[in-house]
Amino acid sequence: MSINKLAYYPGCPSDGTAVDQDMSTKAVFEKLGVELVEVEDWNCCGAAEVEDPKVVYALNARNLAIAEKEDLDIVTPCSICYYNLERSNKALKADEALCTKLKGIDSSLDYGGKIKTKHVLDVFVNDIGMDEISSKLEKKVNVKVAPYYGCYIGRPPETAFDDPDNPVLMDKLIELIGGEIVPNFNYMKTVCCGGPLMMTRGDIAFDMARKILDVAKNAGADCISLACPLCGMMLDGKQADIEKALGITIGMPVVYITQLLGLALGIEPNKLGLNKNAVDTKEILGKVV
Amino acid sequence: MGIAVIGGGVAGITAALDLADSGYKVHLIEKNAELGGKMEELAECQMGLSPYIAKVENHPNINLMLSSELERLSGTAGDFKLSVSGNEVGVESVVLAPGYDIPEVAKSYGYGSPDVVVSLDFEGMLKAATVSETGELVRPSDGKRVKKLGFIKCVGSRCQENEICSTACCAYTAKEAWEVKERFPDIEIYIFYMDIRVFGKDEELVAELKDKYGVKYIRSRVPEVIPEEGALTVKFENLEKGTIEKLDLDMVVLAVGLLPSKTLSKLAEITGVKTDKYGYIETSLTSPLETSVPGILACGTATAPMKVRESVAQASGAALKAAGLSQRTEPIPGQEEHKYIEVGDELKTGVFICGCEGEIANSIDIPAVVERVSELKDVVYVNSETNTLQEAMDAIESGIVDQGLTRIVFAGQSPRECEDIVRDACAGAGLNPYLLEMVNLREQCAWVQGPKDATEAAVDMLKMAVERAKYLEEIPVERYPVIPKALVIGGGISGMNAALGIADAGYEVHLVDKGAELGGGLRESTELPGPGGEQAADVLKELVDKVTANERINVYTKVKEEKVVGRAGSFKAKIVAEGSAEDVEIEFGACVIATGARRDFVPEGYFGYGKEKNVTTVSEFVKMLAGKLDANTIALIQDVPGEGVTARYSSIEVVDSALKAKEKNPDANVFVLYQDIKTYGKWEVLYKDAREKGVIFLRYDKEKPPKYEDGIVSVYDVIFNDEIQIKPDLVVLSTPAMPAEANERLSEMFRIPLKNGFFMEKPERPKMVLTPVDTVNEGVFICGSAVYPAMIDECLAMSSAAASRACVLLAKDFLETPAMTSVVDEEICVGCGVCEAICPVEAIELTEEPVPVVTFGVTTVVGRTKKVAKVGDGCIGCGSCASYCPSSAMSLKYFRDKQVYAQLDYAV
Amino acid sequence: MPIKTWELDPNFKNEIMGEAGGERLASCFQCSTCTLGCPITEIVPSYNPRKIIQMSLLGMRKEVLSNPDLWVCLICQTCTARCPQDVRIADVLSAIRRIAEREEEAGNLKIDSPRPLFDKAFQHQLEKYGRLYDIGLAKEYYPKKEGSFIKGMKAMMKDYKDFGMRMFKKGKMGPKAMLAPKVKGRAVIKKIFKEMGEE
Repeated sequence: MSINKLAYYPGCPSDGTAVDQDMSTKAVFEKLGVELVEVEDWNCCGAAEVEDPKVVYALNARNLAIAEKEDLDIVTPCSICYYNLERSNKALKADEALCTKLKGIDSSLDYGGKIKTKHVLDVFVNDIGMDEISSKLEKKVNVKVAPYYGCYIGRPPETAFDDPDNPVLMDKLIELIGGEIVPNFNYMKTVCCGGPLMMTRGDIAFDMARKILDVAKNAGADCISLACPLCGMMLDGKQADIEKALGITIGMPVVYITQLLGLALGIEPNKLGLNKNAVDTKEILGKVV
Repeated sequence: MGIAVIGGGVAGITAALDLADSGYKVHLIEKNAELGGKMEELAECQMGLSPYIAKVENHPNINLMLSSELERLSGTAGDFKLSVSGNEVGVESVVLAPGYDIPEVAKSYGYGSPDVVVSLDFEGMLKAATVSETGELVRPSDGKRVKKLGFIKCVGSRCQENEICSTACCAYTAKEAWEVKERFPDIEIYIFYMDIRVFGKDEELVAELKDKYGVKYIRSRVPEVIPEEGALTVKFENLEKGTIEKLDLDMVVLAVGLLPSKTLSKLAEITGVKTDKYGYIETSLTSPLETSVPGILACGTATAPMKVRESVAQASGAALKAAGLSQRTEPIPGQEEHKYIEVGDELKTGVFICGCEGEIANSIDIPAVVERVSELKDVVYVNSETNTLQEAMDAIESGIVDQGLTRIVFAGQSPRECEDIVRDACAGAGLNPYLLEMVNLREQCAWVQGPKDATEAAVDMLKMAVERAKYLEEIPVERYPVIPKALVIGGGISGMNAALGIADAGYEVHLVDKGAELGGGLRESTELPGPGGEQAADVLKELVDKVTANERINVYTKVKEEKVVGRAGSFKAKIVAEGSAEDVEIEFGACVIATGARRDFVPEGYFGYGKEKNVTTVSEFVKMLAGKLDANTIALIQDVPGEGVTARYSSIEVVDSALKAKEKNPDANVFVLYQDIKTYGKWEVLYKDAREKGVIFLRYDKEKPPKYEDGIVSVYDVIFNDEIQIKPDLVVLSTPAMPAEANERLSEMFRIPLKNGFFMEKPERPKMVLTPVDTVNEGVFICGSAVYPAMIDECLAMSSAAASRACVLLAKDFLETPAMTSVVDEEICVGCGVCEAICPVEAIELTEEPVPVVTFGVTTVVGRTKKVAKVGDGCIGCGSCASYCPSSAMSLKYFRDKQVYAQLDYAV
Repeated sequence: MPIKTWELDPNFKNEIMGEAGGERLASCFQCSTCTLGCPITEIVPSYNPRKIIQMSLLGMRKEVLSNPDLWVCLICQTCTARCPQDVRIADVLSAIRRIAEREEEAGNLKIDSPRPLFDKAFQHQLEKYGRLYDIGLAKEYYPKKEGSFIKGMKAMMKDYKDFGMRMFKKGKMGPKAMLAPKVKGRAVIKKIFKEMGEE
């Protein structure tokens, strides 16, 4: 393992709806011996709502510049934050005029293009490595998992770090910790959860999230695993609302990959925020041996 | 020294054979352990290619280097040193033919599911379906019969990873669909496409698929195949209804594109040839076979994605160019005069059963066959020890020499593959080669009979053959000298290039053209398509200068007609020229037809052409682009109906001129109205450029062509599903190309069939075109737009190919007269004339002959005469006359009644 | 009614291509990959990004900018990832949406979707606090969407009462989440929107 310290960009939901993801991410990295240093006074990445790429680049320049001062690469557990950080990083590295302009706006936007931006999943599999993780495993997580990747892991191509149609990084981790990947879920792995339309076209968003939950259920999954807090809000946080609105019962536990990994590393469930998931996760805990 | 050909696929094999047959030493280098390349994976192609492979393997002038790779190359043209898997080879020139590979398939296509296959694998499945127990096409996953089959085109081509069009897929998909429909008519077929890029015969095949076979062509680039509940679900746009529809299929075939061979980049590095930005060997529009390194030629899918037909043409063309840089050092095979043993009435039959590398021994009990055949009367020798063709030939030769055999029965693979080779072996040992009888034990027995029946069937087949062999006769083989000169008809770019090719190989050429000047159709062109901006006039001038300066080329212009008689190797022609007092008589051994195509179709009345001043044709528009362009709104209309065919360059020309108009006047609104944009191969980039520069493309259906009324062009855009109107300042019509006027006359004279007015190549079985410039009339070759209206690079490659094929023939000193021809028994002949009427090549003439009268044992000829059929030199041995002759006076040598009856008698 | 190209705005495509992300619009060859892979089309059958692109290329400015389907795009990037011609459809649609928003602000257009209001409200949170403040966002967005404060609050309760309780019970929406996060450098964020934004 070549890394021992990273700048941590938690993203806005880390304080609220995705506090469980934040807790589990920190706990897992600690257990793996990687120190996370939170980007000091970080600001929002722009999410999906800031549509002007130039504004997105500027917002992220500030975060990048802060981490660069510490000489640390940034890791984030949120796929949207990752997308915005990474595309900004790429744009800033390639566009000198843009950097000069940002510097002119404020000195805190002076980013030298020296650091890398990464998603936690990428760090686990490709930087820390399967061997290293394997050596630290304490338990077997004997669950059937529908690994749901969502949008920004395999696409768009310039920021992707896994296959666009059949990503596998999460699968690898699940198999490593003794879990089983359910069959017939592959084609849903990267279909959007509907999150970005939650507030403006809730009907569409519900329909989309429901489809993912349905396919996972039909495939016989014990739970869905995730790597993005927006997906978490849709599939876990809103699951009861979806059930109510559509008059159906689903009851599908939804956990972050960091939570599953944390269990295998022998971390205590509450420390991973597993008591905070909206859909009860007790059944999963029962399968950790 | 010789020539190195790198790559043993269809292109490499073709190039090697053309060279070896003309007396050059060839080193054929193939990285795999077998010849055939990708063609070996295609069932049908394998069948078509196998005779050529057998010929290569047995060719005295070819040094076959299998499992070998080029490691180093040094030196220059005329003196290259190659290091090939540790062996040193010295050559004068090199032909690169490394072939292609297929791209990786995106995961979204569900590739990995056994029911989603790429085309190459599907061909194999089709072959397996025929020989399977049920004879059905079944799904690999569960063995269920396939009812709905989908083809997805443009997988891994015309996309970001592989920008260009792979050219071959549209045609091979149509061919595969046709095969499925022919054999499994109940299977529903859906083909998803963006543009159907087929020309000529393939265009007709697609029309037939749609109209006769009910194959559904659906315009959607299907991006994903979802495996759901035992079916493969695809979504497509129903453009007419404006809806997205789902379709469940049992199987999906991905028509994957072509990429340069994985070995190409290394090969380029070793040889120093430049590659283009797509990874292909760099060639150009005006020199399609030459690489950046003098002395190194390239052909086939190493230069661009293309079909087998084009690959083979390029290969022959490259062979010619390579030969031009080398010295002929080897004897031409089959030129030595044979003296045959007089066999008389003595019957000593030898039977040779070749194991065909286990393929026959697998299902036939050979020792049992040997035992029973040995018992036959007249069989004095049986040999079943051989396992390869070469071993079998050696056995036959020693059998004739040592055992004094007078009849040979050879049982092994298909005669298609080996008949010529076995005949040569007999002749080599001094036995008349027509005292040979062939038995196809592999294709007609071992492969098709069950293990139990195969042995019995083999015995029967052999017994029939032994019976027939008894009645075989010695057929005299006569030779006649080849006239080492050629006639080239047509002085356009193809004709001139062919003439130069033949002349450079050392032969005299007569080049005739109907025009007052050389140049042909290209004289009407100005700037050539593409970013190069080359001028047609410059290209032509270079060629005309070379032709004029070449002492071996005699040019005849204003030629009204040529009258040709004779056969391959020995033709005579009378050339009738306008204004010339005397006709010229010439002799030649080979002929190349390069009459080109006509661009002068006038779309009179269409869109008001001829009446409206602002309606013009593409050729006129290209000329306008050289000056100032005032028009602000231009509508270019592709596929204007009319006589003739769609040229391969039709879309290229339209898109190129639209792009150039936009570059000239960036504010102009340029619309292209089309049915299919056929910018095949690297021309795809032109299409992309045109869109990016702002040209708007509107697709219309053939049934709903655009209209032009009151200054408004109305077109129903079938993708947009709405009528769109344009008020153009200029309407540009792209019209079909027409065949040359002379084609009809030449077709009759040379007995070469035409299709839509264009010459047809020699038909091959299977439908793969492996001899694209050969015709049914041996010694007469076709090329360029006389075959189909083609782009300059293709015309050049094809005309070099025609020249190469002509040179293979001219390189021979002698040709043999055809042996299996008809003979007439004049005594029986009643002169009814049925044969004369039926003969397809007009080789039979009725003549008045005196009738001999026998009086008291003395034959005298008195004044009485009768009509008698005479078989002339042109006989091709088709047997029509023999089967129609009411008095059995006519028979075909080697297929005499008694020979066939003997065989049949045994069978029944 | 036939589409009369001479009544359209041929410059519209250039306008889109001048926006960040819209540059590759004209490469499109109408293959349907985007539309067929789009997860929205099954739910909103009228949504057809391919058609929006061709309308844009033809210059149907008014029709494109007022098309309510512009606002159902999830920006999930499936179209962008698969597009064989690298049109970057998600970015192109984003560019078109920004033009539409500007037109609405200039009073030339009425957008039939609450999404611009939501995006604006979201951005206001960032300008004010530097991070997303959920409650602030809802308080601004719902009244604007519903037309009055009361109606807005009612709608918000309908959408979020259960969810809020659930989050509260699970300890996700604790007192900390009730308070607005305040990034120290928020003045810079404000400056970014001012200097880099299109307004």
